[in-house]
Amino acid sequence: MSVLRALASTIVKMFAADLWLTIGAVAIIALAAAALRANLAPPGSLPFIVAAAIAAALAIGVIRGARPKP
Amino acid sequence: MISLATAAPTIGAAFVASSVEAVEAFTIVLAVSVVRGVRPAALGAVAALVLLALVVAVLGPLIAAIPVHGLQVVVGVLLLVFGLGWLRKAVLRAGGALALHDEAAAFDAETSALRGEGQAHAAAADWLAGMAAFKAVLLEGTEVVFIVLAIGARPGLLAPAAIGAAAACALVFAAGLFLRAPLARIPENSMKFAVGALLTGFGVFWCCEGLGAPWPGGDLAIAPLIAFYLVAGLVMAGAIRSMRTRTRTA
Repeated sequence: MSVLRALASTIVKMFAADLWLTIGAVAIIALAAAALRANLAPPGSLPFIVAAAIAAALAIGVIRGARPKP
Repeated sequence: MISLATAAPTIGAAFVASSVEAVEAFTIVLAVSVVRGVRPAALGAVAALVLLALVVAVLGPLIAAIPVHGLQVVVGVLLLVFGLGWLRKAVLRAGGALALHDEAAAFDAETSALRGEGQAHAAAADWLAGMAAFKAVLLEGTEVVFIVLAIGARPGLLAPAAIGAAAACALVFAAGLFLRAPLARIPENSMKFAVGALLTGFGVFWCCEGLGAPWPGGDLAIAPLIAFYLVAGLVMAGAIRSMRTRTRTA
């Protein structure tokens, strides 16, 4: 039983170690899909926008993680 | 039959990513073999490896049945989330905001825990030691399986990804046997940094490809993307370091 619990915890940690970063990354991809479908962004420039947005999400995650804990 | 030029990045990515997990698993297996002997350590590790091989054998063909574009988006998002988590942690460790992972300390903690268990329940000590090895290989191996399935998710790439991961595990095992010590000298955080950037780069590339917004240059765009996240991570680590230095001197 403890092995199953540890396995579940490992899988959760793999994808949601920082829940906000996970939500942010998924939201960026969902917005990119919506923008593409609604013709709001040209397919040629979308990859660069996504890459930059992911870097920004990482920066926010790092800043949050580096803040001293109260 | 896929060409070596197509397979090489997959083999390399699976190799580097898997070697980090293999080092962590080997540290625990080595601790078990030092305290309770090779037999329970080997039995536990082999049982976990068999279970993981079954998971790959079952999930591998299932993945091939999913339409390529949908699969690229799903696997891309999973790789992206997984890679960003590693990269964030590696940046925080490189910047000094998080403690570095210490294999020697993990080895000491596991050996003293097993020695304590051995004294308290001598009859069950081998079983507990075998379970410790099983659990370590299963948990770290789960991440290796995910990496293999995700990186090898395109047609024909599962075998190269599995070869890369198997080579990493074999190399770590051989190095550990030769040194007979925890692999503390391997710069684990630097590897995690590189793997985080690599998985993030792969993830962003596949998400865009799957959404129908292909990268200029096709597969050749993966290398600059990985380099971009590597440089971005290094800049962030440098910024945290200087921020912490300023705070300490103020």
